[in-house]
Amino acid sequence: MDSLKLVNVTKLFNNNVALNKISFTLPNKGIFGLLGTNGAGKTTLIGIILGLIDTTKGDVFVFEKKLSEFRYDILKKLNFTSPYLDLPKKLTVKQNLTFYARLYNVKNFDIIEELSEELKISDLLRKQFGSLSAGQKTKVGLCKALINTPQLLLLDEPTSSLDPETSYIVRNFLKNYQNKNQITIFTASHNMQEVEEICDRVIILDKGKLFVDGIPKDLISKYNFENLEELFLNIRK
Amino acid sequence: MFSRIFALIIRYKTLVVGSIPRLISVFWWPSIQIVLWGFFSTFLDSETSSPYSTISVLLTAVILWDVLFRGQLGLTITFFEEIWSRNLSHLFITPLRNFELIIGLIITSLIRTVLGLIPAIFISMYYFELKTFNLGFYFIIFFFNLIITGWSIGFIVSGLVLRYGQSFEELAWAFIFLLLPFSCVYYPLSSLPEIIQNFSIFISPVYVFEGMREIIIQNQANLSYILKAFSLNIFYLALSLYFFYKMIISTRKSGKFLNFGE
Repeated sequence: MDSLKLVNVTKLFNNNVALNKISFTLPNKGIFGLLGTNGAGKTTLIGIILGLIDTTKGDVFVFEKKLSEFRYDILKKLNFTSPYLDLPKKLTVKQNLTFYARLYNVKNFDIIEELSEELKISDLLRKQFGSLSAGQKTKVGLCKALINTPQLLLLDEPTSSLDPETSYIVRNFLKNYQNKNQITIFTASHNMQEVEEICDRVIILDKGKLFVDGIPKDLISKYNFENLEELFLNIRK
Repeated sequence: MFSRIFALIIRYKTLVVGSIPRLISVFWWPSIQIVLWGFFSTFLDSETSSPYSTISVLLTAVILWDVLFRGQLGLTITFFEEIWSRNLSHLFITPLRNFELIIGLIITSLIRTVLGLIPAIFISMYYFELKTFNLGFYFIIFFFNLIITGWSIGFIVSGLVLRYGQSFEELAWAFIFLLLPFSCVYYPLSSLPEIIQNFSIFISPVYVFEGMREIIIQNQANLSYILKAFSLNIFYLALSLYFFYKMIISTRKSGKFLNFGE
């Protein structure tokens, strides 16, 4: 069963084309990267998959269910985090996580303690979310994104505000988590090294169009570049 | 469903209880209103020889108007909290359904309004000797009519802010004060110019306050006022909910949900 299928997804904002006939399929299980320059349409694409933005044309299927028809069933199996979105600042980390656990109808709140330990944020549980550093917020956001044990996890630059050591920890955590739970992770990132390291496949958008879709190593050798960053910088020329 | 509505209520409770300024806004203003109008009514009572108590008419009107005001603010401010905390996108990617959000907002507004009114009613009863509960069952009817009007305005304002941005937030306060002169809170409908009366007859609180005055002054209840108020309120609430739903759909089309976080 495919975890995600986009069929001719087009999005216009006031006649400006944000996404133009995007079609791709992500299999069930794996880590997949979404690359693109600023304005390429990554955020719009993620917004559409999350049901936050309606398509102008085309359809999105998540676990073979049409998003426009089964939005709420699908959202139970999906989650997302982005360093550009906040959680309520005045609530403590634990209150925030409990709030989201309730929204996802999570029965066993022990998952909060378990995830906190795994992400090494147990000491932050009693602190107000607003008092945390950017890196700590990112880890709490990730914890929130895993609260419902999602089958499809969408991430927007998951390590952008983290120091190299914490980035390494988060990357390893994501790899292990995916491996252990056999889920699909779809991550938008500007960190080419990270994408090359953890992603089974990358999708590159350019000006709203699907530009490249493939396995990082295959793409690098196909276009004869040293690494993904070099490929990304030169392929559009 | 109940888990998600409960989650919203607990979240809003935690937010208010954990913040002294928010607690003050819930409890302080209704009581201050009563104290101000109470002193003013006492002065009027001492200067005039009216056959009925000015205190009763004015303070009951103040309390009832505050139901509408607090009901509306309780709903819109609670919704705005999600925008202010840049949490709206996270909320809309959970399985929370629109009607669950609506019920959560309504219950929170109801709790905030009731809690805010308790000290105000206490002050009016024990300091100004107002017998609010002399209205009896009608007080409950008036209360729900006015809070429903507040919710209707709240959903319109929340929908506008959701779709067109935070510049519409001012409407949360302005709308009520725009409505106040036409709602006949402190004077009868007949005292308005005829041209304004033609407009005011479509404002549901008019019938609540006319009904209230009739009970206090003439000691009789006019059921037609209650029926008119309820009919208009049900119509306006349905209209405002439809508008709120439409604004959510329109916001999804515009892609603005993600911009709330940027």
